[in-house]
Amino acid sequence: MKTYREIVGDGGSGVAEQMAALRARVEDNLAGVRYRVAVGSGKGGVGKSTVTAHLARCLQEQGWRVAILDADLNGPCQARLAGLAPSPPVPGSRGLVVPRGATGVGVLSLGSFLEERAPLEFESVAQGDTHVWRATREFGLLGELLASAEWGELDLLLLDLPPGVERTVQYATYLGPAARVLLITTPSGLAQGVVARSLEALRREGRVPVGYVENMSGYYCEGCRKVQPLFPRSAAILDGLPCLGSLPFDPVLASAEIAGAAAAHAHRPAVRALRAAARRLREALEAREAES
Amino acid sequence: MKFLCVRCDVPLKLLETRPPADGSLTILYACPTCGHRVAMLTNPHETQLVTSLGVRLGPEERDSDRASGCPFAEVAREAAERAARDEGLEWTPEARRRLERIPEFVRPMARAGIEHYARERGLRRVDEALLDEAREHFGM
Repeated sequence: MKTYREIVGDGGSGVAEQMAALRARVEDNLAGVRYRVAVGSGKGGVGKSTVTAHLARCLQEQGWRVAILDADLNGPCQARLAGLAPSPPVPGSRGLVVPRGATGVGVLSLGSFLEERAPLEFESVAQGDTHVWRATREFGLLGELLASAEWGELDLLLLDLPPGVERTVQYATYLGPAARVLLITTPSGLAQGVVARSLEALRREGRVPVGYVENMSGYYCEGCRKVQPLFPRSAAILDGLPCLGSLPFDPVLASAEIAGAAAAHAHRPAVRALRAAARRLREALEAREAES
Repeated sequence: MKFLCVRCDVPLKLLETRPPADGSLTILYACPTCGHRVAMLTNPHETQLVTSLGVRLGPEERDSDRASGCPFAEVAREAAERAARDEGLEWTPEARRRLERIPEFVRPMARAGIEHYARERGLRRVDEALLDEAREHFGM
């Protein structure tokens, strides 16, 4: 009796071919994108989205063409960070139009299309058992967004990942070896422990992140005009991974819109640190490209 | 998943996929040698899992299906067209093609938003010019 491997094709369903076709469409649609960087952590609340938005803005200032895909489909916030007004998805001549924030950075986020309090919901014949299919459906949607949006010519597409160690690894795997991973952490031992798990899980998949950014490395005190510690510093457990920047928390920057933050507060340590981190990310990506 | 006719040692061929009823999908297979037929009936979990892959199931692909990648593309499209007709808005073939090129998940949002935009302007027809105008209007 024949075995599975001896039978050519998949019986006519074409499922495998269609999955491969979607992959091919993604690659074709991203052909004009020089670098893809998945910004993850594993830990929630470390500032992945904010750092992503600021890095995009700083890199654009430095002459790069940058867009963000908000891959945190269940908790999208890039539209809000970019100051995008709610709008319907608009079908363009080559695919889904990527909205542009006031900074000029393209931002594709379900937060633009869904009402502020509306959770992401999919039609299903198996509601109540979403654990069975939900992740598959979300990755299908992610693939469609990558394959169908008008990304055009970009130096960098940043993907803002959801929290969770397993999600970080799944996204990195799904995005393929062409995508680099940037990890975000804070100095706290709690966050670094989780990020270290992400790092190890990624390494086991053969993925070495391009580096990490330490967010909330301290806070900028208006009184003494110095950066003061925010967390007790723990023993470094991300050794071997390049630190691309340490970003102090700045209440002024946190309350400012991303669009004007860097320009309006250029003298502040947080902005200087962001610009330096953006420059180091650029250099790290170019170095990796030269190696490969 | 593949099916084998044990008697003939020949893989079965997919004949027909029937639209889901009560969450169950019916897929008919036949042995090309002896003609023996088998029906695979999925439970709702299985139906949803396959649907979640965003693929189409069926013996052959039609051009109209290819654009959407939706497993039940024709049914969904007919429903959408019926809804559009009910609301009295017409989409030109070019505008409809644009709509079909965007992800299936956001298509209903795009349709509703664009039609709302058209109605606000007293228009009854969505064409490519209107889509381009909407792009400008929404600051894209």
